[in-house]
Amino acid sequence: MTSRKLVTISAGLSQPSSTRLLADQLTAAAKRMLGNQRVEAVVDIIELRDQAHDVTNKLVTGLGSPRLNETIDSVARADGLIVVSPIFNASYSGLFKSFFDVLEADSLAGKPVLIAATGGTARHSLALEHALRPMFAYLRAVVVPTAVFAAAEDWGSEGSGGLSLAKRIDRAAGELAALMHAHTFDGPADPFDGPTPFEQLLAGR
Amino acid sequence: MQFGIFTVGDVTPDPTTGRAPSEAERIKAMVTIALKAEEVGLDVFATGEHHNPPFVPSSPTTMLGYIAARTDRLILSTSTTLITTNDPVKIAEDFAMLQHLADGRVDLMMGRGNTGPVYPWFGQDIREGIPLAIENYHLLRRLWREDVVNWEGKFRTPLQSFTSTPRPLDGVPPFVWHGSIRSPEIAEQAAYYGDGFFANHIFWPKDHYQRLIALYRRRFEHYGHGQADQAIVGLGGQVFMRKDSQAAVREFRPYFDNAPVYGHGPSLEEFMEQTPLTVGSPQEVIEKTLTFREYFGDYQRQLFLMDHAGLPLRTVLEQLDLLGEEVVPVLRRELDALRPAHVPEAPTHASLKAAAAAAEGPSDRASHDLMQVVR
Repeated sequence: MTSRKLVTISAGLSQPSSTRLLADQLTAAAKRMLGNQRVEAVVDIIELRDQAHDVTNKLVTGLGSPRLNETIDSVARADGLIVVSPIFNASYSGLFKSFFDVLEADSLAGKPVLIAATGGTARHSLALEHALRPMFAYLRAVVVPTAVFAAAEDWGSEGSGGLSLAKRIDRAAGELAALMHAHTFDGPADPFDGPTPFEQLLAGR
Repeated sequence: MQFGIFTVGDVTPDPTTGRAPSEAERIKAMVTIALKAEEVGLDVFATGEHHNPPFVPSSPTTMLGYIAARTDRLILSTSTTLITTNDPVKIAEDFAMLQHLADGRVDLMMGRGNTGPVYPWFGQDIREGIPLAIENYHLLRRLWREDVVNWEGKFRTPLQSFTSTPRPLDGVPPFVWHGSIRSPEIAEQAAYYGDGFFANHIFWPKDHYQRLIALYRRRFEHYGHGQADQAIVGLGGQVFMRKDSQAAVREFRPYFDNAPVYGHGPSLEEFMEQTPLTVGSPQEVIEKTLTFREYFGDYQRQLFLMDHAGLPLRTVLEQLDLLGEEVVPVLRRELDALRPAHVPEAPTHASLKAAAAAAEGPSDRASHDLMQVVR
């Protein structure tokens, strides 16, 4: 059985949070979908809340704590990401954005990403399309077509009109699993292993 | 093994009193600190170069020339000289002039500078930082080593039949270190030329610098300058001492908490755990500094940052007394005893002059000496 590394990032602030609840359900669905394709998912779930101080310290001083550096490395080496933010003021939360601001440039390039969010009402759902999706497009990630928004009412009702939350979760997870099945990432090349030879640097290449 | 201090030259208000020194006071304080470094037996004083407030040292060779006239032994250096935004011709001239005035007690450390606006202020582009560092330094080396230079490159106006004056003292250019916080290209550059490599070491965790220095050592050997463990490595460090370590922590904490760059970030305790900073007794400083050798191998130069974040001059001078009397003699003895015989000391003007004479061969040397006599 082959394996893929799945990293889930939850930017919920309360404990427990509905953001984490959605993150867990998406993770379980993706794991199941990969399993259906005989791929074992190795999962790393990251609660940004636990590293909020470290993220801020890295933003203002450049110094990453050993734990945050591990997280950054884990994200860079993931074969796929599930990222979940609460929607604040019509956009991702500040903590969510700050975390992606401290990643190394290019570390998400080409990586499959499932975007998801939580909010009080469904009126916030398009923040996924006008805030999260463009940010990940800028980072050159491959964002799956289905973005999952869970409003407070979704946790109770069995869908009013559109697909139920459970079905949207499965559809998005299936899209992510298909992309992860097709590609693997070793993480960025180690610049300390194979430096550009000096003659090339000197020749301006 | 060389020990010394490096200064950023920041004008920062003392957080315990709110008082900021004037530029004049800060500049004179830097000179006083350099003179003190020689008095307490340190080997090196290095000044930063900046072109924006709140920093004062925009003109390093002016300051170092003045210090040269008032010292006898101290090696005058930089931390760093901006190889990206300075004209390499002016660097060649300024530091050769300083060499003559200081009787050879000069080396310098190349750095790129990471203040965005400084690049356009000097007509450059920060995105070209690495290519600027590569091309400008290559020209600088030629200006010191060839009497007449014809040159054309990408960044500077061409030179035809140009002679940089004065020529380096005794025909021996100053030794060069390359400072870097994170770029493998700069480690590669230092290795290619067999120059020194200085890891600032202050703001990033040690495993990062271990990889950067390991790369430099490996490539130094690759380019045929000697074995990897013979490469010339310098490290930064940062300390604050009192006899009693609680007293040191209590006194330094407000300076740490409000320091430029890392203030209002990690706690003092976290920063001490993750970086070379030691706040404590002289014995604790000795113990922590001795671990650097375990992580990076035998190295040639240790510089400490002692005078930033608004620390009063009097306090800095007390720190230098402790450093010179209680810390450096022990480190010198311990590190010299541990260093294998085949690992060289950092090059100095005298050692480079002797090496050049040996390379020239006896007959050439005789005629060279004769020329000197004739002159």
